[in-house]
Amino acid sequence: MRVPDNFLHYLSLHRQSGQRLLSEAQAFQAGEIELAVLPQQARIRKMVFEVMGEVHRMKAFVRLEPLGERVLYGFLQPRHRIGELICEHFARRNEGTIVVLGSGSESWTALLCGGRIYRDQGPGLTETVERLKKALPDCGGGMEPGSDVERLWQVYYDSQYCRERKNVEAFKRNMPRQDQESAGLRLVQRRRETTLDDFMGRETT
Amino acid sequence: MKKISQHFDHFRPAGIQVITEEHAIFIPMVSLEKIAHLADDCRFDSIGPPAAAAIDPEKLRRLGEGTRHDVCASTFSPRERPLPGICHAFTQDGRCVSLFKTLYTNHCTHQCSYCTNASGCSKKAKAFSYTPEELARITTSLYRGNYIEGLFLSSGSGRDEESIMEDMIETVRLLREQWAFSGYIHLKVLPGASQQHIQEAMMLADRVSINLEAASASHLSEICTTKDYERDIVQRQRYIRDFAAGCREDSALPGMGRLLPAGQTTQLVVGAAGESDEEILQRIVYEYREIGLRRAYYSAFSPQAGTALEGSSPQPLWRERRLYQMDWLLRVYRFRPEEIRRAFDEGGFLPNSDPKASIARQLLDGPLDPNAATYEELLRIPGIGPKSAQRIMALRKIRPIASRSQIADLGVRIRRASPFLEINGWRDSTLEMWSD
Repeated sequence: MRVPDNFLHYLSLHRQSGQRLLSEAQAFQAGEIELAVLPQQARIRKMVFEVMGEVHRMKAFVRLEPLGERVLYGFLQPRHRIGELICEHFARRNEGTIVVLGSGSESWTALLCGGRIYRDQGPGLTETVERLKKALPDCGGGMEPGSDVERLWQVYYDSQYCRERKNVEAFKRNMPRQDQESAGLRLVQRRRETTLDDFMGRETT
Repeated sequence: MKKISQHFDHFRPAGIQVITEEHAIFIPMVSLEKIAHLADDCRFDSIGPPAAAAIDPEKLRRLGEGTRHDVCASTFSPRERPLPGICHAFTQDGRCVSLFKTLYTNHCTHQCSYCTNASGCSKKAKAFSYTPEELARITTSLYRGNYIEGLFLSSGSGRDEESIMEDMIETVRLLREQWAFSGYIHLKVLPGASQQHIQEAMMLADRVSINLEAASASHLSEICTTKDYERDIVQRQRYIRDFAAGCREDSALPGMGRLLPAGQTTQLVVGAAGESDEEILQRIVYEYREIGLRRAYYSAFSPQAGTALEGSSPQPLWRERRLYQMDWLLRVYRFRPEEIRRAFDEGGFLPNSDPKASIARQLLDGPLDPNAATYEELLRIPGIGPKSAQRIMALRKIRPIASRSQIADLGVRIRRASPFLEINGWRDSTLEMWSD
């Protein structure tokens, strides 16, 4: 990872960053932070990388469910203040489609239309989606997890596993549990739903 | 000579445009109701059909399994600006799942002795095939749901390679032109595909590849009797190289400089034909130099039930890993082939140890001072990569490097590097440097 020129933006999104740290950081160039040997600069680099790392993993791990033809929504509960940034990323990726991300307490909405990004920030995900359903009466569907696409994905995902290459350590390293939870990935959720019966006479896949 | 553009007046790369952060105009916060209203207005801009059609899960599984030994997971494509590849999931074998990797059909008339889809396989699965519409629909659905970054499309030869290749291209054309799919596409070129099909594939995909499978014609003939190494594979790689070069030079083709942004690649099955690591690397050096290959992938041979090689021993996975390390030294660290050669044993195989350390022990006469070493010399020290070498060069312009901890702070893996470094006249000499 490299310290980007706009590292101040990433630093401002860190959950522990404040005005004081930001004004101190303004005195540095990205290259200085990259080569940091002083503790303060090294701390800034660490914080920037923490945010960039979470941004990257949320772009990868958040899953979007369709709600009719014009809305995609997904669970997101990041550790840093990156909700809006991630939401805009998905809006750019799906032009003309409203993207809503969030959790129980807050949500972010974005739409790319005609080269412009429109944004909103509001209460919990469920409430925002309900409001959208009222505003777009034909969007139909419900917020039921486990769509057809999710089932397709699960079949495909299972097909890619090579038993002879089993390497659970690498799996855990690459998919940190904390990030799976932030993105609401069902890989984790399924493990939580596991009961004692699953371990008796049933082989894990 | 007729310009390439004259052959392709009717054909231009698909209108692939991703609105990046720099290009989008941000509007201050607006109400949710206004966003809903705007979405209604611009619904014709949105991509693809929203839901996947009913797909036979058995087909999805079988055709997915057909590509599980293909190792290309990269989605790096500098189409707009360099972006890192994204892994959307990892399987329990620790490998990245970033693309929807699938076969178009698992029906194949080739007789590859390592492959479960080969015509001679006694445990061959039921034959399945997608239609272009069906495959494009699944890809779009998975992409919209953020399960994948793009499509990796390979195939068995079917009854007729040309018609399968046509269907594969049609799938990609549907994605790009009908559904404005802006994701990454890696398209396999089938051995023996026509020049016309190869060119069409290049116009639409981010990356194309044709699998070498073996290090030479004689090795391929031992594992597959139906493919001609030179005519069906290497000649096709040259078509790709020449067409890409022709497009770059042809000023009548604006935008063609971005043709095939992720280049062409290949894959080898390591150990199926009994070739040595040195033979594989020799081939790869040729591929990088003469074919202009972007990179090569290696897949350690693993015997499959029902195939002619079912009784053969599997290749250790570390062999694949050592080949990747050597490949990295060639491609990224720019080691010369004569330097690379030092890592092989007498039989031309790599031992199961870090090849860079092995080469360094033979190449470096003594420890190097990081304050005086050149960039190339720094790169040859184990534990120092291109980034940390650049950081060392930058830091010593400001002040001399005086301690091991300074070097470690720059990202150098100090335990591996220290036997080869002399800092302030002090060196950390260990037996490790001299042992095998």
